[in-house]
Amino acid sequence: MLAAVTAPTTFRDGADALTLLVLLTEFAMLRSSLSRSQVRLYAFQSLVVTALAALVAARHGLGDLYVIAGLTLVLKVVLVPWIILRVLRDAGTELAGSHRLGVATMVLIALAVSIFGFFTIGSMPFHSSSLPRPALGLSVAEILVAFMIVVLRADVVSQAAGFFSLENGVSVTSLVVASGLPLVVETAFLFDLVVAVVVFGILMRVHHRRTDTLSTGVLDRLRG
Amino acid sequence: MAVEFAPAESQALQVLTIVALAPLVSGFIAHVEARLQGRRGPRVLQVYYDLAKLFSKETLVPEDAGWVFVAGPIFAFACYLLVPLLIPVLTNFPLPLGYMGDIMGGGFILGLAGFSVALAAAETNAPYAQLGSSRAMTFGALIEPSILFVTFTVAIITGTDLPYFQAAASRASVAAALRPAHLLAVLAFFLVVLNDTGRIPVESPASTTELGMIDEGRTLEHSGPLFAVLRWASSMKQLILYVILINVFTAPWGLAGSERIGSVLLAIPIFIGKAMAVGVIFAVIDNSFSKLRLFKITEFMAAAFLIAMLAVLVSILGGG
Repeated sequence: MLAAVTAPTTFRDGADALTLLVLLTEFAMLRSSLSRSQVRLYAFQSLVVTALAALVAARHGLGDLYVIAGLTLVLKVVLVPWIILRVLRDAGTELAGSHRLGVATMVLIALAVSIFGFFTIGSMPFHSSSLPRPALGLSVAEILVAFMIVVLRADVVSQAAGFFSLENGVSVTSLVVASGLPLVVETAFLFDLVVAVVVFGILMRVHHRRTDTLSTGVLDRLRG
Repeated sequence: MAVEFAPAESQALQVLTIVALAPLVSGFIAHVEARLQGRRGPRVLQVYYDLAKLFSKETLVPEDAGWVFVAGPIFAFACYLLVPLLIPVLTNFPLPLGYMGDIMGGGFILGLAGFSVALAAAETNAPYAQLGSSRAMTFGALIEPSILFVTFTVAIITGTDLPYFQAAASRASVAAALRPAHLLAVLAFFLVVLNDTGRIPVESPASTTELGMIDEGRTLEHSGPLFAVLRWASSMKQLILYVILINVFTAPWGLAGSERIGSVLLAIPIFIGKAMAVGVIFAVIDNSFSKLRLFKITEFMAAAFLIAMLAVLVSILGGG
């Protein structure tokens, strides 16, 4: 009897906590100075997204979502971080602290941006059947913070990691608004990510070969 | 019919507990910390011996210093005597003067105490003491937003910001205590306590390097009984912050539910046990992280503020 009463709130709190963890990891990625730890944080974030997908699947009995969660696990937790770390190893240069602004300033800016996302999207009269109400606002805030990583970090690896984590935010949003989407469509989204990984991998290698650094700070210099 | 304390007596007992046992908790933490580093460390009661020694020494006042130098530490001590009246140290129901101030009120009194110590230090004309007081005020101002937003979270969750109500809310159900908003508020407050008790990563408590000092630097010019008062006050401040962390936010169990002498007295060892357990956590943190560079402390503050802010946002949007 008690379990029946508390079960929905437990699901709600668990889902809230996981969505929040995705956002917090995003902030940690913004702060962390080493590209390597950023990629590891991305892997962790993807793991949380996987857990969230599995939680929603278990709650609503959606078999397709388990497949998506499994694919996410293989692709985002293992494969993508492995590829980026390999590119990093091949480059042989480690950039520490490619922040364009001070860390505290960056966090405050990102916080302001995420509050914007939180209230504009979170206050929409939208009712999701799959996830609790704060999830939509939180996931949009996460997308905006990921966007801030791409804007405020001046190296290719961070920008790639920021872009991939932006995709994580989109995954959470899609869990909120359309968790019952057909399997084919969801898998197509994941293959989008694979294309992005290939493009970014090539971009990182080309950039490193041309400029001998992973920093994008040198791109505005005149050649010749 | 069991013998009961009068409300005023239990309230006095709360203050006495903090005054008498704060050095014990400080000594215990120093001891555990030394043990974790493989040293034998000071005795658990060492702080009491230090205080006794300092009280028997003479007081030296710098030439240029006026009465503020003497009054500052005593005023701060008085402030720390006042705060235990407002927070649930031993009983889980508000005592008569418990409604005098909310969490903000307690925070203001703690801030006033810090201000008076800083003023006493600034009075000395000694460079390191003034450096310490200026830094303590700066970082105090930077951590303040986090404290405010933790209070806002409490206000949103309980509809009031009296510490007793937050304690009741945390006690009411474990599920409520595990809500994301509450967890974030606890985490933010934990970082605030880490900063306010002068612990690593903000300040290393046992350091003797003046240039790295923040809170410790303020007391460099005081000696004898005045220094003893300052040390006693800082251990009381630590225990008061632990009370708020433990009995308001994380583990408000084991408090006396009535004014029966037995249950109120039993609450004392339970509380000190909990405070020591928290102290062990702080000692472990002290030993597992390195001190932040002074100009990186703002990053720590930004992290605390971020977490406190998210706690408010989540509780506003219905995750509370």
